[in-house]
Formats: sequence, C-alpha cells, structure tokens
Amino acid sequence: MLDVETRERAAGPERERIVQALIEIAAERGYAETTVEMILRRAGLDRPAFDRHFRGKYDCFLSAWREINEDCMREMLEAYNSEEEWPDRLRAVACEIVEALRNDPSRASFAVEVLAAGDAARARRDMTMRVIASLIDAGRNEMEDPEAISHTTAEALAGSAYGQVYSRVVKGRGDELPALVPQLLSAAVMPYLGIDAAMAELSRGFDPPARYRRDVAKRGSSSKSSSKSGKTVTSAEDYPPELARLPPGRHGLPREFVVHNQRERLIAGLAEAIAEFGYSGTTIAHITRYAAVSRRTFYEHFSSKDECFVAAYDTVMNTLRERVSEGFEEADDWPHAVRAGIGAMLEFLAANPHLARLCMVEALVAGPVVVERYDAAIQSFVPYFQSGREGRPPEVLERLSPTTEEALVGGMVSLISRRIIAGKAEELEELLPDLVEFTLTPYLGSEEAAKVAREKG
Amino acid sequence: MPPGRHALPREFIAQHQRARIIAALAEETVDKGYRAVTVADIVRRAGIARNTFYENFSSKEDCFLAASEFAVKEALRRVVDAASKVDAWPDRVNAGLAAFLHYVASEPALARTCIVEALSAGPAAVDRYERSIQAFVPLFRMGRKVSAKGEELPETLEETIVGGIFWILYQRIIMGQAERIEDLLGELAEFALTPYLGAEAAKRIAGQAPAGAAAG
Repeated sequence: MLDVETRERAAGPERERIVQALIEIAAERGYAETTVEMILRRAGLDRPAFDRHFRGKYDCFLSAWREINEDCMREMLEAYNSEEEWPDRLRAVACEIVEALRNDPSRASFAVEVLAAGDAARARRDMTMRVIASLIDAGRNEMEDPEAISHTTAEALAGSAYGQVYSRVVKGRGDELPALVPQLLSAAVMPYLGIDAAMAELSRGFDPPARYRRDVAKRGSSSKSSSKSGKTVTSAEDYPPELARLPPGRHGLPREFVVHNQRERLIAGLAEAIAEFGYSGTTIAHITRYAAVSRRTFYEHFSSKDECFVAAYDTVMNTLRERVSEGFEEADDWPHAVRAGIGAMLEFLAANPHLARLCMVEALVAGPVVVERYDAAIQSFVPYFQSGREGRPPEVLERLSPTTEEALVGGMVSLISRRIIAGKAEELEELLPDLVEFTLTPYLGSEEAAKVAREKG
Repeated sequence: MPPGRHALPREFIAQHQRARIIAALAEETVDKGYRAVTVADIVRRAGIARNTFYENFSSKEDCFLAASEFAVKEALRRVVDAASKVDAWPDRVNAGLAAFLHYVASEPALARTCIVEALSAGPAAVDRYERSIQAFVPLFRMGRKVSAKGEELPETLEETIVGGIFWILYQRIIMGQAERIEDLLGELAEFALTPYLGAEAAKRIAGQAPAGAAAG
C-alpha cells in the first residue's frame, strides 16, 4: 500500500521530463503543431514511457496545465502568507505572479496555448481564479461592515487583473508587468480600504513587500529546485489565516465519526485538530491526542500527516457522496432530485462544520495531493447535473457549454466555501433556495427553477 | 434568401450575409468550442456556398475577429444610446450598463464567442479583446470628473472596470446563467461606480434607473 508513494517517486523524473519537454515544445510551436514524438525526442524517452503516464497528447497537456496551476496556487498562498497586512499580502501575490511569468516565459506561452486548446483547460484556470478572488475578497475583513460589499467585486477584480496580465503576456510585453502591479493593487484595495489607501498603493510602485522579499531570497539560496518540481507537498505551512478562522461550535465529534476503529478515530482526530489549529498548525501529537491513541498507532496506519489528511478527505467525501446520492435517488423527478441532493449536502456540512472546513477549505491549501482529489470530487458531482440535459429541447441544450456542469459545481462549491470561511457553516442550509435556483436555471429557465427552489419542505 | 431577392440592394445582401456567417460561427463555437470549428461547419450552418464565405472573410480567424468587432460596435451603439438619454454620469453608467446586459442576454451565442474565446485564444483575439475594452473605457473615464482624485486615479482603472465586467459575464455565461445576466446590474454598477464615488454612494445609486429611462 505504501508502494504508491515509492512508485510515484520513481516515476517522478520520467514524468517530469515529459512535462518539461511538452511545455518547451508547445511554447515554441503551439498546441496543434506539437506531437508526442517531438515531446519524446526532446525528453529522450520512448513511447511506452509516455503511455505509462498519459493517455495521449491532450491528457498530457492537461496534466501539465494542472501541475502548473497547482504550483501557482501554492506559490501564491506562500506569498500571501509571508506578509501580515492584507494589502501587503495581495502585493506579495501579485509580485510572485509577475516574477514567475518573467522568469519562466515558456510557462506563460504554454498557458496561452493550452487555454486555446479547450474547455477543460479553462475550467482548471477558473478554479485558480476563484482562489485568487477569495484572497481579494478577504479585504472585507478590514471593513467595519464586512457585508457592505458584494462578492462579485472580488471576482471581477481578479478576472480583470488576469485579463490585463494575460494580454501583456500574449503580446510579448512581459516587461510592462511590474508597472502594472501598483495599478492593479490600487484598484483592488479601493473598494475595501477606500480611496486614500488606493492612492498610497499606487504611489508605491512595484515594491515587493519586505518579508516576502526575504522569503524569496531564502528560497533561492537553500532549495533551488523545490519550488519548481511541484513535489513540495509540505508547503502547506502556508495557508491564510483568513481561511483559518474557526467555525463556531466545532467542539464535540460528530457522532457518526466516533467509531471504535483506530483508523477512523485517527481521521476524526485529525479533523478535530485541524478545526483547532488549521492544517499547517496541526502536528501528529495533536492528532493522536484527539484520537486518544499512541503515536505508534498513528504510524501503523499512516506514514505522515499528509497521508492521514488524504484518508480523512476521502472518508468525508465518501460520506458526502453517499448522502447526496441517497437524496438524489429518493426524488421523483430530476429537478427535485437536484434539490434533494443539494439539500443533503448542505445538511451534512452544516451538521459537521469542521468536516465541512476540512473538505471544502483546507483541501485547497493542503498541497497538490489533495488538490487533485478535490478536483476529482468536483468531477464526481458533475453527472448529477449532466443528467439534467436529458429530454431538454434543443434551444436549451444550445445554451449549455461542455463545461457548464463543472462550472455549476465550481460555483456552488465556491459559494459554500465562502460561508465556511466566514465561520457560518451552521447557516449553510439557508443557501438551499439560491443554490437550487442557480443550478437549475440553465436547464429549466429561471422561472421554473425559481419555482422548484422556493417550494416549501 | 427570400424570393425576389434581386430587388434588394446589393449592400443589404452583403451585410445580411456577413451577419449570417457571423451568427453561424457563434452557434458552432457554442456547440464545439472555437478551435474545433471549421469553415465547412460555418458554411453548412449558415446555408451558404463556400465561395460566399471566402468572399467575405479570408479565414475562420478573420470571421471570428469580425464577429467580435460587430458585437462590440452593436453593444457600444446601444450603450451610448441609452446613456445619452440621461444627464448625470452615475445615471449614465446605470443606463448604459443596463443596455449592455440586455444586449448580452439577448445574444448569448455571440456573447459567449466574443467574451469566452477572447480571453483564451491567441494574439489576434487578445488584440481584439483589448480594443473591445478600450471601446468602453471613455464612458467610465468621464467619472474622473466627479471624483475628488480625478486624473490621479490609477491609469488602468477603467480597463480594470471593463475587464472585470467582461469576466463576470464570462463566468455567468459558462455557468449557463445567460438569461439571468440582467440581474447583475446592481452589483456591476456598484463595482464600476465605487472607485469614483466611494463605496457608500456607489451602493446607494447602483442599479437605480432615473425616472423616464427604462432599461431596454
């Protein structure tokens, strides 16, 4: 069982060589012109090696793209956490992105290519964009009335910054990016901190914040390759305290997770510890204390905190999936099945706030291993919505895009996580009508969707 | 073509053809994604001869760029039209934005093609995207006159506002929420007005149509 990890390590160099070769070639020649043969020639490997890791060219592109996004997400969170004040945090993130694009232009060109290649790549980018939006959205905590500003604002700011950076990269004007940073920051800070703070950001120029600068220097001297290899799983030192705010009422294990089985006790212990200390602050000693087992018992089941987290994540998601599926099956027609499924999900999350936080928030910051699973989890909810396409008239189907379902799940998850981050997990069930309306509208039209959403009981 | 088409002025036919080809490109793009669409697909969907396509456009990309240009022109016309019916700048933002959202909601395929693909396709599309943004920039720039900071505001502020609105529309379209796009008026107007008026005033005014200026 532990062999998975060993195998992965052995597979590492080969896979990485392929991915690196792909990025270089795609940057030079474009997606359409890139062939598997070219990739292999550059990597110095043979076809079986390629087939061991990928199911064809598009799969290889998407895998590389996923890794780039995961690296990028981790680096951003590291930058964000290197500072204490919110505007400096954003500035550190912006500087990180700009430096990364300038230091590795082939990645930037690769991004341009892969985005043009299809909807799946865009969906992945949009996930990263949601994380960036949530870092901007944290600005509301600086306000007297944190609810005074719409969440759309952060989403728009993130997307717009992306558009401006992207267009400069595409046009080979990467050297303009540093000058863009103060402009973007000024606009991002304005709605939350007001005009004077915005003007102050503007006058600072590029100016990477001090702590962040120190971190970069440290990174450069100590471990040259670690930030690039994508294997630094432990960098989840780093998640934002915004994400760490404790949901109220976290104490007391949910009954269904109190079991006699040691493994499950450890998992429950981890969930408890994370609710208390956040993922990065959690130690194995915390876990064993909450689980009331010995350290040795821990190591009989898991080799590391990460492995335990992954197991916890899987357990929670399995339960969640079961609940959703039960809810879905019980209803008579598809719209009510969706309503029941979402209802079951919200009920479970509201009843178990720290498990909610574990699977919806911590998973995003706990490192690549889990991000991949997070993705798979999103995918597993897609078919429920997809089945809504059945029997719809052509004019409705025409409105849908191949990734509508993925976007719906993503949008739903992002709404839910926001509540959890705000410490309002217990109130999640209030979201039911909105989420039902939001997800049914593409298939039924807003009137019908609203009707199902607002039904009683 | 309706019978008796020879009576139609040549220019009208030409324009009509272009519009039909553009609409066909948009519909095909929604179905299979821009990259997968071929000129043959467009020709089939538009019900025209291949020659006719090439009389109008040199390539698929040329057609895509024309679609963007067409959509931006039309949107701008409607926005300016609606905005010029009222006087105060914040009212103009509300009215213009309402007209814009109404247009996007009424042309989901075209909107999707222009907005979604623009941020994903290559250099020419990005060029087009930047020009689309620039087309709307002056309307917001006027807001500097009502702001205490005026020209001191970040140079790219208007780009940020327009780009942000485009991004939100892209997200909603992708999520299949095209028909509810007009509900975004309040939030987007607030987003656009805040830098000039401050958060409080922006929130108060956002989405309020002044008397006599119905939204579309």
